[in-house]
Amino acid sequence: MLEFRTQGFNGYSVKYSPFFDSRIAVAASANFGLVGNGRLYILGLTPNGIVAEKWFDTQDSLFDTAWSESHESQLLTASGDGSLKLFDIALPPDSPSFPIAQWTEHAREVFSCAWNLVSKDSFLSSSWDGCVKIYRPEMQQSVLTLPTHSCTYSAQWSPHSPGILSAVSSDSHLRVFDLRTPASASNHLTLKMPIHAPPKAMPGQPPPRGVPPAEALTHDWNKYRDSIIATAGVDRVIRTFDIRAPHQGPLCQLVGHEYAVRKVAWSPHLADVLLSASYDMTARVWSDGGAMGIDGGGGVGMGKEMGRMGRHTEFVTGVDWCLFGAEGWCASCGWDERLLVWDVRGTMGS
Amino acid sequence: MSYQAQQRLSQVGSHLGKGGKQALLEKHPDDIVITCALRTPITRGGKGPFKDTAGADLLHGAFAGLLERSHIDPSLVEDIAVGCVLAPGGGATEFRAAALAAGFPASTAVKSLNRQCSSGLAACVDIANAIKTGMIEVGIGAGVESMSTQYGPQAVTEFSELLEEHEEAANCKVPMGQLSEQMAQDKHVSRKDQDAFAARSFQKAERAQEQGLFDEEIYPLKARYEDPKTEEWKEVLVRADDGVRKGMTAESLSKIRPAFAKDGSIHAGNASQVSDGAAAVLLMTRAKAEQLGQQVLGKFVQASVVGVPPLLMGIGPWKAIPVALEKAGITKEDVDIYEINEAFASQCLWCVRELGLDESKVNPKGGAIAFGHPLGCTGARQVSTLLYELRRRKQRIGVTSMCVGTGMGMAAVWIAE
Repeated sequence: MLEFRTQGFNGYSVKYSPFFDSRIAVAASANFGLVGNGRLYILGLTPNGIVAEKWFDTQDSLFDTAWSESHESQLLTASGDGSLKLFDIALPPDSPSFPIAQWTEHAREVFSCAWNLVSKDSFLSSSWDGCVKIYRPEMQQSVLTLPTHSCTYSAQWSPHSPGILSAVSSDSHLRVFDLRTPASASNHLTLKMPIHAPPKAMPGQPPPRGVPPAEALTHDWNKYRDSIIATAGVDRVIRTFDIRAPHQGPLCQLVGHEYAVRKVAWSPHLADVLLSASYDMTARVWSDGGAMGIDGGGGVGMGKEMGRMGRHTEFVTGVDWCLFGAEGWCASCGWDERLLVWDVRGTMGS
Repeated sequence: MSYQAQQRLSQVGSHLGKGGKQALLEKHPDDIVITCALRTPITRGGKGPFKDTAGADLLHGAFAGLLERSHIDPSLVEDIAVGCVLAPGGGATEFRAAALAAGFPASTAVKSLNRQCSSGLAACVDIANAIKTGMIEVGIGAGVESMSTQYGPQAVTEFSELLEEHEEAANCKVPMGQLSEQMAQDKHVSRKDQDAFAARSFQKAERAQEQGLFDEEIYPLKARYEDPKTEEWKEVLVRADDGVRKGMTAESLSKIRPAFAKDGSIHAGNASQVSDGAAAVLLMTRAKAEQLGQQVLGKFVQASVVGVPPLLMGIGPWKAIPVALEKAGITKEDVDIYEINEAFASQCLWCVRELGLDESKVNPKGGAIAFGHPLGCTGARQVSTLLYELRRRKQRIGVTSMCVGTGMGMAAVWIAE
């Protein structure tokens, strides 16, 4: 396990570069993100361990970061002051460390940002102000604002289609927007499903119990099964849904975290594996049992925890998979001011 | 610390809490909401102004009140469930007729159901569940009882030999006063404590009446009755519960003779009164309420039903309340008001103590000891009593519960808005 200390800054988000297997970005904030500065670290994995290649300081806390999919040296940050900032790490070392572009449109803290994975020409942000916004790097204003009317902790692009994005928010709902639909009063909202709805009753079994709504903090699209989304949040349960069958309830419920789940990320290599980070100070590896059929139909309710990494000593806030090389390397960050790089295979079967 | 930092801190805090209370208070389009809840006054069985009014007529009054106050288009109401214990045949025929007479069209379905003293709550929960599953969109949970006209031995069918020979089965017909007397002795609830509890119920109800705290929930109803002294028929507009005796103290209650055993502790003053009354609750999803422009009083969250031994039927709330709270994901401290039916001071007090509830949160406007327990009505009556009091105090979370004859308990969690 490799380690880097983000001294004085508590980690909020970690992202592997989509271009280099040795580059990792960490968005971190002083004073646990409550008040004070933020810092974006660009870390390199070297034979001598992890080194900070560069960092950018920001006025307000940073809650998320996303690498540009079209430009290998650029990346975004989501900030507590409502701004999105685009930084370029290729600028000469003596140039001032200012962002090359900035969008200040959100009225409250921005909690997530993501770059379009298919068209690669746009990115989005989601905020406490109840909006998801879509931007193009070359334009100074956002191109679209999608209201969710609820503090939106996480928004993501579909990795399968350039015009589809999703969001989860504190109202316990998963929303899917399809930008191909005509502009109308529905603001491209094509699906809104309650995350807390019980699974569909199975014949011969007692009907599943309803649960109260709970704030949803994170979600991710499966990279292989194009209609499968995993969500998680304050109720500690990770659920997978098939957006083709919104009334069916969750396909699978992964129960085990002892406090709220802050981040989930599907494996870029395996269709059934996902990683989670939680306030319970662990990062866990799960299988939703969906490996049997890539179509996403199989393995209802058959999920299980496969491994657990308990080396963080504070809330784990971010996890990300390495896109390259062997299928198990990942990075996690947390409020213990540490970035850990580890292999999930080392946590399994022990 | 700056305001912003404080907000961020409380946000992280809300992620760490059990999430129950915070999440419960949020509004969602699929919430089951109450847009109108009311009851008739409750009057004394055999003596009060409703003594000559049929149960179905009381129900008719509650229906008419609901339509008047909510302004809902009656044709939108798809189903009505009415809890009633004593009416022959469950009252199914006359309740359907009462709905038609009150202005509901033929397309509005009506049923009656009987889960003893929790029938009114069972009716509300039944409608809430029907809305939740999508079977209906708008419905009414109601309850009614005319104990003046229908209370008596004919309400229970004779037990067969088969049932008589089974010990626990035969216990189902032990009279409630008798078994409660035994339970009070076994669980060491003294007469003094019971009388003190009962006196508080009277005092709280008296104060609530004086301050007009029942005004919002009561729908005044005209009644024709025969004055027993003059044998003259009179018509009056009944505005208030007539069972609330003024100036009751534990001292004055201590003089009443025990009703079920010579050395017993239960008497007419520390048990629920025999009464007449009706109540109704209008339920729908929040999305529907917003579409119709209905004012939302509160929402239904979760209910529980449990069984207990027939001879210990009084402990029902003690078993049912934690189940409902757990399902709702909250703790007993999160609840602002408990409406626990006072079938007997002994059982209610025992449940409150055993659950460790703050007594000041229990029945703040008094209970069945003070103003009566029209069996089928009570569960639906508690909804309006609870929601209006929560709203008045600007509090949010309430629980209604009651013990159920033959050994059951029900409880439900409600949120006022």
